[in-house]
Amino acid sequence: MSLPAFVLVALLLGIPILQAAYYSMTDWNGITAHWIGPRAYRREFTDPTFWRVLQNNGVLLLAVPVALLVGMAIAFVLNERIPGWRVFRTLLFLPTAISWVVIGMVATRFFASEGTLNDLLRSMGLGFIHTDLLSGERTALIAVAIAFVWSMVGTNTIIFLTGMATLDPALHEAARIDGASGWTIFARITVPQLKRFIQFAFTITVISAFTALFSLIFVMTGGGPGYGTTTLEFFVYQTAFAKGAFGLGAMLGVVLFVIMAIVGLVQLRVLRTKD
Amino acid sequence: MATQSVGVTIRRRRRSRRWSTRNIVLVAIMCVVTVVMLYPFGFMLNNSFKTERQFEGAAGHSIASWRALGHAIPVGRELLNSTIVCVGSIAIIIAVSSLAGFAFAKLRYRFAVLVLVGIIAAMLIPMQSIIIPAYVNLSKVHLLSGYWAAILLYAALGTPFATFLMTTYYRSLPDELVEAAIVDGLSYRGTFLRIALPMSIPALVTVAVLQFIQIWDDLLVGLLFLQNTNDRTITVGLGVLSSGRTTDVPVLMAGSIVSAIPAIVVYLVFQRQLVSGLTVGMGK
Repeated sequence: MSLPAFVLVALLLGIPILQAAYYSMTDWNGITAHWIGPRAYRREFTDPTFWRVLQNNGVLLLAVPVALLVGMAIAFVLNERIPGWRVFRTLLFLPTAISWVVIGMVATRFFASEGTLNDLLRSMGLGFIHTDLLSGERTALIAVAIAFVWSMVGTNTIIFLTGMATLDPALHEAARIDGASGWTIFARITVPQLKRFIQFAFTITVISAFTALFSLIFVMTGGGPGYGTTTLEFFVYQTAFAKGAFGLGAMLGVVLFVIMAIVGLVQLRVLRTKD
Repeated sequence: MATQSVGVTIRRRRRSRRWSTRNIVLVAIMCVVTVVMLYPFGFMLNNSFKTERQFEGAAGHSIASWRALGHAIPVGRELLNSTIVCVGSIAIIIAVSSLAGFAFAKLRYRFAVLVLVGIIAAMLIPMQSIIIPAYVNLSKVHLLSGYWAAILLYAALGTPFATFLMTTYYRSLPDELVEAAIVDGLSYRGTFLRIALPMSIPALVTVAVLQFIQIWDDLLVGLLFLQNTNDRTITVGLGVLSSGRTTDVPVLMAGSIVSAIPAIVVYLVFQRQLVSGLTVGMGK
């Protein structure tokens, strides 16, 4: 009975990942492929463009803690059951439903030279600060990272709220009676109890940062200026489908897979040892 | 009686605490956060009711951009394509993952654990890592025209997590249920179709909702695997339109709203299933 699921996954995911591993060591162009061997990897790893791209992934990684902290702060406030918290919860999670394409289109106009961000600065009397993040090779990624954080906050908030609902209120009560301040209770009792949820949110956010931003980048910057916003996942697409270097693209896909597999396995391991 | 009055006083005390200064400040902060989170929706709505000149600063609103949307992209056709692709792949995902989940949870057979681990391990494979070989393979079997390549690929990408979720769900059903059904003369297939499947509808709804939002909003697979312009989904249509050289922002915004509405409706109706599906990945 599990055969259909197995066949589907094997044919469309299992075999292609093995093919990718094989073709990553060739100069495949989609039709013909000549064997190069592991040398292909060594060649790519000495290419400065490759490291420039990985550096972009590194910058996105810096956005991950921000997405976690903001989500945690909002969840904490909503968990206080402030008036209307259910409505806030629904509205804050709403961006999760819309596509990166739509988010990217709005973000592009927000950060544009004649965009909302500059209007906002001007109306606050800060008109002398003129931003043009998207046209700078170094700054465009900041705009992408902000859009990314913005759209991950809702998901993380929900994960933390779910976690906070599982906490034992007796512990908080006991701590309060012992005279612990609100902050101490949060840092010493709430956060340690939420460890599993924090790890989960962390993993989801890292996976999104590395594999879900294709559409956002496609719409916002197309990977540019230069290689300014080309992350590994976007580089795979560009290399294969814009330059026709399928073998090299396959290799970059394999590198991405290895990174993601490590993240996933670490997460599994951490969860296992906790149980 | 006594417990009831205690309940009332507690509630009353809560009520008075609800509008404390601290809470008023927190509500104010949350309002600001909500405005930031909803900003894109306001931006889209506002600017979709402008002409290009009004968008660039001229005063007033107009419905010209909504009229122009139909000429920029075939909206109806693309919404239909999105629906076909979503329904097709979700139907496949539900069929294969419920079958497999039931088998993994309730039947003992050789290699079951190995196959389950294999399928779940596929969750770690990013779309971008398999997309090049998958593209070449599917073009070799001439599936790139029409919907099939995209439907099959979405189905394959969604199946590992769905199978994991369904296996977890069927494991939570008591074994006695299956045993009783077998004793009463039902076959395995009958037990699955008449007993297990109806009981698992909540889990299936979760799977369907999660996948719907994922597939409806996806660009990459549609961009590569729907080769005919006529087969494009609404998300792909918008993505392509926005990357073109001459873009009319108000028209794009009108299109964005159209593409976002189905996902938002599904989200609002099935919020609970979405949240439960999100956290099931953590196990127990």
